[in-house]
Amino acid sequence: MNRLRAVPRAHLAAGLCLVALLLYPVVNPWQPYPQAVMLLGFLLAIQASSWNIIAGYAGYISLGHSMFLGLGSYTAGILALRWGVNPLWVAPIGGVTAVVAAVLIGSVVLRTRGHAFVIITIAMLLAAQILAINSKSLTQGSDGITLDLPFWDRDFQNIPFYYLFLVLLVLTVLFSAWLRSTKFGTGLVAIREDEGKAASIGVNTTRFKIVAYGASAFFIGTAGGVYAYYLTFINPVGSFAILGSVTIVLAALAGGRGTLYGPVLGAFIVNLVSEAATVYGGGSQSRVLLFGFALVLVVLFLPRGILPTVEAWWRRRHPVDVEYTDQAGALARAPVTTRERAPAPAATGPEGAAEGEILLDVRGVSKRFGGLTAVDDARLTVRRGTITALIGPNGSGKTTLFNLISGGMAADSGEIWFGGRRIDAMRPWERAHLGLGRTYQVTRLFKEMTVQENVVAPLPDSRPRTMFAGGVHGHEAARARELLDIVGLGRLAGERAGALSYGQQKLVELAQVLMLEPKLILLDEPAGGVNPSLLGRLTEVIRELNDDGVTFLIVEHNIPLVLDLCDPVVVFSHGTPIAEGPPGRIREDPLVLDAYLGDDWRPAAGDGGPRTQGAATREAVQ
Amino acid sequence: MLSLNGVFAGYGGGSVLQGVDLECGKQSITCIVGPNGAGKSTVLRVISGLLRPSKGEVSMDGEPIGHHAPDEILRKGITQVPQSHALFPAMSVHENVLMGGYLIRKDRKLLRERLDRVKDRVPIVAARAQEHAGNLSGGQRRMVEIARCLMLDPKVILLDEPSLGLDPRSLAGVADLIHELHQAGTTVLLVEQNVRLGLGLATHGVVMEGGKVRLTGTAAEIRDHPEISSLYLGGGAGPRVASGP
Amino acid sequence: MTHLVQAITLGLLIGGVYALMASGLTLIFGVMRIINIAQGAFLVLVAMLTWWLWHETGIDPILASVVTTPLMFGFGWVVYRLMISRIRGSSASMSVLLTFGFALVIEGVLNVVAGNKFRSATPSYFEESFRVGEISLPKAQVFGFLAAMAVLGALYFVLTRTWTGRAIRAATQNPSGAALVGVGATGTAALAFAIGSATTGVGGSILSVLYPFFPASHYDWISRLLGIVVLGGMGSLPGALAGAAILGLAETLTATYGSLGWSTLVFYVVIMAVLLIRPQGLFGAKLREDAV
Repeated sequence: MNRLRAVPRAHLAAGLCLVALLLYPVVNPWQPYPQAVMLLGFLLAIQASSWNIIAGYAGYISLGHSMFLGLGSYTAGILALRWGVNPLWVAPIGGVTAVVAAVLIGSVVLRTRGHAFVIITIAMLLAAQILAINSKSLTQGSDGITLDLPFWDRDFQNIPFYYLFLVLLVLTVLFSAWLRSTKFGTGLVAIREDEGKAASIGVNTTRFKIVAYGASAFFIGTAGGVYAYYLTFINPVGSFAILGSVTIVLAALAGGRGTLYGPVLGAFIVNLVSEAATVYGGGSQSRVLLFGFALVLVVLFLPRGILPTVEAWWRRRHPVDVEYTDQAGALARAPVTTRERAPAPAATGPEGAAEGEILLDVRGVSKRFGGLTAVDDARLTVRRGTITALIGPNGSGKTTLFNLISGGMAADSGEIWFGGRRIDAMRPWERAHLGLGRTYQVTRLFKEMTVQENVVAPLPDSRPRTMFAGGVHGHEAARARELLDIVGLGRLAGERAGALSYGQQKLVELAQVLMLEPKLILLDEPAGGVNPSLLGRLTEVIRELNDDGVTFLIVEHNIPLVLDLCDPVVVFSHGTPIAEGPPGRIREDPLVLDAYLGDDWRPAAGDGGPRTQGAATREAVQ
Repeated sequence: MLSLNGVFAGYGGGSVLQGVDLECGKQSITCIVGPNGAGKSTVLRVISGLLRPSKGEVSMDGEPIGHHAPDEILRKGITQVPQSHALFPAMSVHENVLMGGYLIRKDRKLLRERLDRVKDRVPIVAARAQEHAGNLSGGQRRMVEIARCLMLDPKVILLDEPSLGLDPRSLAGVADLIHELHQAGTTVLLVEQNVRLGLGLATHGVVMEGGKVRLTGTAAEIRDHPEISSLYLGGGAGPRVASGP
Repeated sequence: MTHLVQAITLGLLIGGVYALMASGLTLIFGVMRIINIAQGAFLVLVAMLTWWLWHETGIDPILASVVTTPLMFGFGWVVYRLMISRIRGSSASMSVLLTFGFALVIEGVLNVVAGNKFRSATPSYFEESFRVGEISLPKAQVFGFLAAMAVLGALYFVLTRTWTGRAIRAATQNPSGAALVGVGATGTAALAFAIGSATTGVGGSILSVLYPFFPASHYDWISRLLGIVVLGGMGSLPGALAGAAILGLAETLTATYGSLGWSTLVFYVVIMAVLLIRPQGLFGAKLREDAV
């Protein structure tokens, strides 16, 4: 009984529904009509649930998903005719065709971010229709393909189809649930929330999206084969109907995009309403109007869908108090522990090389925006085991240089070497896999994810084993909690990241980068906007990590912090370094004083420490 | 000149401001300081009309403006320079500054005069006129942002964290500009995380915490107030970090 | 040779019309990051309206755009105010779904009101052509092309040379920044949406003459227009021009040398080929990351 109680309520309810659905034909076997309505509901639920993988988890909306149903139908139908076999046996091949089509389309349009995908999915649906009409030798054109009637006794009616679709639905939901629980699933949500950031923490966004699109096609394609046999007739207009896509989108949206059971729930509702409209409303003409209105109303008034809305309402009724303030929790944190990096597949050079060896080497890198040269022939080396600071006036190209190093932008010229490999042509995630991590000036956490999911999301390598490791349980999740303890936020693991204070978010972002087991961490203004008590913890963590062998490159304007924490200090001005050395020397370098710190910075008599402000401010203070 | 009375405001459900009372005298530079999340920036957003107060009143020269739309508040002579991202990245610097005069677009002569004056005051406007604003550095953007709000010849300027992300040199430029504006008779209300810097610039200081005003006074009073250091600075005299041995 | 020149000329004429139709779409996207899937339905709606005007009164269909353009301007404004503005701030995908739903509503209403059958406006010059040497230029297409170019020129002028255009661009690039200088975000966005919709006034009128249409035609149209926008680079006006010309050429060339049935498919193949080489489209640009 206790174990049953540990199962979340949603799974329990889903299980009960499943039992009821399994029993239904047994209890009420001789009524084909309700069975037909139900099985069409299952079919829609299969499609909506699959659609949810690419559109719900990864956030890439497809408006042409019914294409996969048609592809499955045609594959099974054509093969059944050619080979003289029952369409059911070749239905999974329909699934494979759908996956192949999805992967092909995806490899073209999913390589970039943005909105081309949704548009291409509509176009591909219509293109598939044109193709089916025009490839007469294969598809018999507009005449369509007629299949044999089911081989079983007519007395059984729809019962075999009922169970076939139900089994497919259960498989689809289990598959979707499993995907979501892996790091792959976390990666997809990461892509939905902030794709650029996802790439920088080692998520191969292109591959993830294509795999997700493929995964969202398989069960629909398979169901398409079964559906063809159920209809015993397939034609281009019916198989590649845009209205089919509309129902899928509507179902998933109404139920709750991005949730596990939402699309299934939505499918049943949409199917019942649609059935009622056909019976009482009069034909498919009015269905267009109905679906149109329904889609508009759902987007306007129920954009999150039924399940998330109900859940939010439930949470408001039963609030759980959490302390978010910076002060609490500032007390305890665990000491730093580091984990060995799994050997990179193509790692060159001896691992654990000597301290002081050059780890990062930026050779003559330039970057222009329009007429402005942001980084001009920059040369910079970071030696293993150091905490190197990069300071310089604003607009001197420090953040741009970070973006060039981490791969967020491509350099116009020059080379970047990291750990003995040239990385300037690599994608951001490849660089992350080599052990290069970064944080952002303004934190970029995945705000809708929990803190723990945020920390689990990074991928230290590109192996499928890591990609499909558990994100909620297992060693990856355990490591994430460990890292959260290191920055002292273990308590907040289950909270929504967006609910944390700014300083706490900065710490979470650091923990997130640590998940990569990085050799070098680029910190972009770690102290900006962080209050003093959290700042103390941050520097403490940085020091401990450095003692454990992690190298840092830090951009920071808080000069006392830099002079205290970093050695060496590199000074940037107008896109190129003008001085480098230990903090003590940098402080007195006349070139630096002139370019960056201003006259005010010259050490006053009897006052060894520098001041943080510029000339005008100082005057004002006095 | 500008005053807030028992203002409550927030985003979504919660209230960030929990009854704020504030007074800015004519020709003063008032600086609001306080820890993260105290509601400093929210105060500015309420004044400029980007956020409507759920309770309380904002008034300018005795006239209530709390429920005016942002453009009406602009017409009253209150302009704001936000923390970041105020410019139009794909428009030129010239166009960005020109947009500052959107409300006086009908009066071409006035527009031209103001533009010339702003060019004199903020040299970067002329120097980088055709550059896309998105290609400017942080300090340059801040200067253009301030230049843009001068197009309306405002009575009150609201500055949100002018020091954020700026190096000392650009900061000095911004500080000089603020002083100049002050000399010319403009009232300035600024929010600053960096206490010493903010109070150094200001004539008056306001300390906020947890959505309420804790202390008000002249800048010097606030700077020397014993409570400040314990409340905000963690006992130190300046925004320090944990230092080594 | 004459065949080829003829096909290319026709392709470019049609391309000009496509460019006009796609310009509204790309403007709305560029300004608001909203993909207006209902743009195709707007076109069909205007075509239906034009057909009805022509049928009842005999007004020249292309001249009828003098009536339909302001009508669509107002329609777009109301649609934005009542519907689209409600989802401001949510993701672009929500706008896709919303406008998609709205397209279905228009289709459904047209189905109910006008019935599900093909229509086409056939003014007196419908069958006539100008002849330039060996090449014949159908009058309807020439008039359509000229009207399209006039509207595109006016659009360009409004966007770059007027305060309205500046306000629209400002509000699209940075809504809160625009509010700070007194540009009301909602009003400006509504204006942009209205202008984008107004382009369908001329576009739909031309459509009613050049192509037979019925309520569900909007799927074909929107997927073509979206194809143009993707091919040219999302939000780029020159891109839309180039994409439209390519679509026009692909269609007429395939129809001349291949078969009509494949002509649209060829265009999609071209899109995929271009995206393979240039994922951001022909004129698509990448902005400095931290500037946006």
